[in-house]
Amino acid sequence: MDHQITTASDFRTTSIPNLYQLDTLLRCHICKDFLKVPVLTPCGHTFCSLCIRTHLNNQPNCPLCLYEFRESLLRSEFLVNEIIQCYTDVRSSLLNALKIQKPITTPGNNKGRNPQDSSLIELTSESENESSNAADDDLQIVATSERKPAKRSMTDILPLSSKPSKRNFAMFRSERIKRKSKSNDQMAQCPICQQFYPLKSLEKTHLDECLTLQSLGKKPNVSPNFIQDSKTQGKETPRLKSQTPEVDRSHSDKTSHVDKYLNSMISAEHQRLPKINFTSMTQSQIKQKLSSLGLSTNGTRQNMIRRYNHYEMIWNSNFCDSLDPVDEAELKRQLLSWDVSHNKTSQNNSTNGGISKLMMMKSIGKSSSYRVLLENFKNDKFNRKGWIIMFRKDFARLIKEAKSKIRTGSPKGSDLAGLINNEDDSREVQSCEGTRRQQMGEEQGTTNKERRGSNEANLPNEDLTDADLSRELMDMNEDGKDPPGND
Amino acid sequence: MASLPKRIIKETEKLVSDPVPGITAEPHDDNLRYFQVTIEGPEQSPYEDGIFELELYLPDDYPMEAPKVRFLTKIYHPNIDRLGRICLDVLKTNWSPALQIRTVLLSIQALLASPNPNDPLANDVAEDWIKNEVGAKAKAREWTKLYAKKKPE
Repeated sequence: MDHQITTASDFRTTSIPNLYQLDTLLRCHICKDFLKVPVLTPCGHTFCSLCIRTHLNNQPNCPLCLYEFRESLLRSEFLVNEIIQCYTDVRSSLLNALKIQKPITTPGNNKGRNPQDSSLIELTSESENESSNAADDDLQIVATSERKPAKRSMTDILPLSSKPSKRNFAMFRSERIKRKSKSNDQMAQCPICQQFYPLKSLEKTHLDECLTLQSLGKKPNVSPNFIQDSKTQGKETPRLKSQTPEVDRSHSDKTSHVDKYLNSMISAEHQRLPKINFTSMTQSQIKQKLSSLGLSTNGTRQNMIRRYNHYEMIWNSNFCDSLDPVDEAELKRQLLSWDVSHNKTSQNNSTNGGISKLMMMKSIGKSSSYRVLLENFKNDKFNRKGWIIMFRKDFARLIKEAKSKIRTGSPKGSDLAGLINNEDDSREVQSCEGTRRQQMGEEQGTTNKERRGSNEANLPNEDLTDADLSRELMDMNEDGKDPPGND
Repeated sequence: MASLPKRIIKETEKLVSDPVPGITAEPHDDNLRYFQVTIEGPEQSPYEDGIFELELYLPDDYPMEAPKVRFLTKIYHPNIDRLGRICLDVLKTNWSPALQIRTVLLSIQALLASPNPNDPLANDVAEDWIKNEVGAKAKAREWTKLYAKKKPE
């Protein structure tokens, strides 16, 4: 998910304004964003799986041509999927590389500068940095890819700075080519294969070809085009990966979009959920259906029907169309967050109530990162790992408390019994006991709530030894002493 | 709860940065789903020289549901009633999520250019329009002068 709002018109100000069209074509006509899990309608139009399924729940036709069809006729578009992922990976560097260069970064201007110019000194150190780090070029590329155009001019100023790497040399060469054609937009580098082409042919034919080639499964080591450029290819791949969290999440970290496309198939593990005609079903039948899927049965009949329909939609979109499906638990969390915002009456169900109470209670005096987690608890940005890490200490403490209670439970009881026998102290002790019970009750309550909130997170900590636990307890106490000044 | 979908933000940005000629649409400060719209009367129609004010609201289900649009300026038109409601297929049955604010407003502008008295919303106006087109158009012109804002020269 990209959080930035990008529009196709970003390309209007580049040296290849026609990329505007490519950018537009890769967007869904419903959400206006890049196609996410694209599916093809029988009439030949492509939309995001979730978008078109949501629309089909309202109207059984194509938003573009109004051709009527059923949801089951949607087909995944693996190729388009990879094209878009590939494109979004390179988009920002593409934009940067094609930005119409401002006078300050053009070679001619910098050449005439006094070498003692302070800005030049900065540039020098940076460009030295780059060449000295030639070994981990990959990292360097990632770090500097955003500022490519600027880099070029730097290497141009100091082409002989200590041992120019091959990459630097390539850049230098590119600059020379650019300088030859003074209008400096005649040649442009293809962002995909890194070769230089006349701008017009790049724009008109090459870029599309290159994108298609890559996605069609012409592997770098198969196609002769790519053999020549295998070095840049090798560099390109890690860079693509590091820029997209989407790809990182998948299990196939090492494979390119090409391989992903070649190996793409939907696992048949999960059957599609059917559309159900609820009109003939009784309330209890609906409840049965929902609970058989492990869904909440709160709210009115209408709420439950809507809940099923939404679940059916995200399920089918996830398991029937997506190449990287999430697991059922994640789907249910998505459903919950949808439920909260759409099925307003069902907000009072037990889990939600418990969680929000817990949140209210805890939000006082906690750090800002906690608040971020909390705010996202019910929506799609929820960070599960962060949650587990944040409450690891609390979970450990609770386990320890529970254990110590079990261990010391009986002696305490006998002590108290003994004390109570002493008539003078009895009143005091009773009141003490009362407070303690109250405290214990509160703690117990917290434990339950927290457990309910994230019992999964609890598990890893149960293997901790007592020593670990006490160390954690210490840590926690230290933390406790820190003023909550983060906020 | 319902944060503003990206699509709405995008559309708003586009409307402001790249406006349709003769049409303005500005979101309300307090509610970004509520737009104040003006449409210039198309040339060679009885509505030329007038600027008509409209309001546009994007319902929660937008883009799955059509935006709600209404004329605020009084207008003599067979497909627009006294309350400013508009009879336009894309706002009702023919809505599609592939349409957007821009296209809807363009359709309304086109409706001003070519009224359709055979599918009326304001019956009296439509009858007048069918029986005496010249007179009806004259009245529309008169109303435009009376109620719509003048186009700056």
